[in-house]
Amino acid sequence: MTQPMDETPLLSVRGLTKHFVGRNGRTVHAVEDVSFDIRRGTTVGLVGESGSGKTTAGRSILRLVEPSGGQAIFDGTDIFALNPREMKDWRKRLQIVFQDPYSSLNPRMRIDAIIGEALDARGYPRGAKRRERIAELLTLVGLPPEYSRRFPHEFSGGQRQRIGIARALAVEPDFIVADEPVSALDVSVQAQVLNLLGDLQQKLGLTMLFIAHDLSVVEYLCDEVVVMYLGRVMERGPSRQVYAQPRHPYTKALLATAPVPDPTRKRTHVPLQGDIPSPINPPSGCVFRTRCPVAIDACAQTIPPVDHIGGNHHVACIRHGEL
Amino acid sequence: MPKLRVEIMTATLPADTILSVRDLKTWFVSKRATAKAVDGVTFDLKRGKTLAVVGESGSGKSVTSLSIMGLLAKPGRIAGGEVLFRDRAEQVHDLAQFAPKQFRAIRGREIAMIFQEPMTSLNPLYTVGDQIGEMIALHSDVGRQGARAKALEMLKHVEIPDAARRLDEYPHQMSGGMRQRVMIAMALSCNPSLLIADEPTTALDVTIQAQILDLLQRLQAQFGMSILFITHNLGVVAEVAHDVVVMYGGRVVEQAPVNALFAHQTHPYTKGLLACTPDATRDLGTDGARRALYSIPGSVPPITNLPPGCAFEPRCSMAVDACRTGLPPLIPAGPETFSRCIRSHEL
Repeated sequence: MTQPMDETPLLSVRGLTKHFVGRNGRTVHAVEDVSFDIRRGTTVGLVGESGSGKTTAGRSILRLVEPSGGQAIFDGTDIFALNPREMKDWRKRLQIVFQDPYSSLNPRMRIDAIIGEALDARGYPRGAKRRERIAELLTLVGLPPEYSRRFPHEFSGGQRQRIGIARALAVEPDFIVADEPVSALDVSVQAQVLNLLGDLQQKLGLTMLFIAHDLSVVEYLCDEVVVMYLGRVMERGPSRQVYAQPRHPYTKALLATAPVPDPTRKRTHVPLQGDIPSPINPPSGCVFRTRCPVAIDACAQTIPPVDHIGGNHHVACIRHGEL
Repeated sequence: MPKLRVEIMTATLPADTILSVRDLKTWFVSKRATAKAVDGVTFDLKRGKTLAVVGESGSGKSVTSLSIMGLLAKPGRIAGGEVLFRDRAEQVHDLAQFAPKQFRAIRGREIAMIFQEPMTSLNPLYTVGDQIGEMIALHSDVGRQGARAKALEMLKHVEIPDAARRLDEYPHQMSGGMRQRVMIAMALSCNPSLLIADEPTTALDVTIQAQILDLLQRLQAQFGMSILFITHNLGVVAEVAHDVVVMYGGRVVEQAPVNALFAHQTHPYTKGLLACTPDATRDLGTDGARRALYSIPGSVPPITNLPPGCAFEPRCSMAVDACRTGLPPLIPAGPETFSRCIRSHEL
């Protein structure tokens, strides 16, 4: 309550909506009316299960898929309103790191060419200075610069993800979407990449949207968290607050079901029954009500508003006050 | 040679043990290289219990399970060791010596397996009822109607809602969680005494994973089957396992009862694995400041090019010269606990 926002957000997403229309005319409601802010130099985590729309939301913000509606005010400009040519200039400031470090690097290109491609987009001249820049980027992500003439298959998964990060950083972006950057990696390598992302953010003052399904990773890395379910925001707020005092039944369930590496803290029950419904025909009212342990009749009637409940904490549940 | 090893090699299968893997070696030999994917793995699974085999990619955990089931793809072959299995008639077989034909009497009826990705294990062209029924018909003489009735019963056991209607659905009409339930129904339809579950929840979301883990534990209590649970997720291990085997580079590096393992690790690899999983209470200060996560340097070495001594030595902060010279033996490191680390007593 008492803590005002210390800065205007670098990115304000307002009412982001993405519908995919199939050939049979059916509409997939992938992302529906999603709003959140990312303050400069901070990391926001976007969490949810498969089908929650988190990846589509991240890609829509970069216009890698064209959003169906809403705004993304980036440093004062609504980038959804830009024409493709204008957008091209903005892309230098907005980059993405993909989940799968195997399929996101061209196997027939050497590392310097992969990173060089990003430099080309920035109009970086060829020559010694370019080689220097590539060496500098590799050093930045913790790879020996002499690896620049190698091919992707010569690297491990963790090293490839470092290359993917170097490519994203090549154009000196302000903002990075990291789409599940560690979930394809072995556990022993995940920590290295998480530490790297944390260090780079501090060193370069990056602002980051971190998409993940692993709650412990998000809690560790992110200043704020946005919890999505079936295309909608269920709860968002400062990570510490949301993890310590989740207010939405879905957030509570997610936190209760995540397995903990401690056999003395075993779960006692499964709070959520059933599966995530189809986004082609989402439930009326609150999309979570079909699996919600505390749903009442009223939940089917209206889409719950995203209520501000103090600090920067928001929750979309009509029963949040009584539970 | 430590005493433990001699005992294991000479003892017969204890009455409470359903599966005993002893010095199992599974090699993939090609002209260019020999990949010792499993190199001298030993463990016991007690009747009605769950043994978790934990490891990262390339640790040999999946090849171990495929070796037990006789499902190795060429050029993989069992190069040594025993896989002793006690069947329902209390007969002990060495599955390592089995011909492909002999496995038919064991697979499905005595040992069943579920895999990570249920979609690729189900035939998209048949209804789930037909597929479960086929399994039942193959292993019993109940007839078509009987098989269908039993298939329905199994779908109810795995708590598929509206089971009678689901029986006539195709795999693509089901969610990932439902398909894994179908796989479990099929695996348990002939009441096997051993279920091998190879990363059965890895492709599933956490809320669905919790459902499947609960289901497996309930079914274990109901049917009394033993479970060999292959996973990379230590959280899942803590939840389902009674005993744990940690693998690295094709070998067992640590073995312990689940509570002992999580309370105190006797191998630097296990300790490192646990330490590099983010934990907010440990890794965030009271002011929310992030501490750097503990990380294991380097990456998992390729199985064709393991160091001569301890496979973990190049990444280990405790490594000394002796670690490089010879393969450390698996030595007792506590009650029912074994470690393949010469410095385990210092941990």
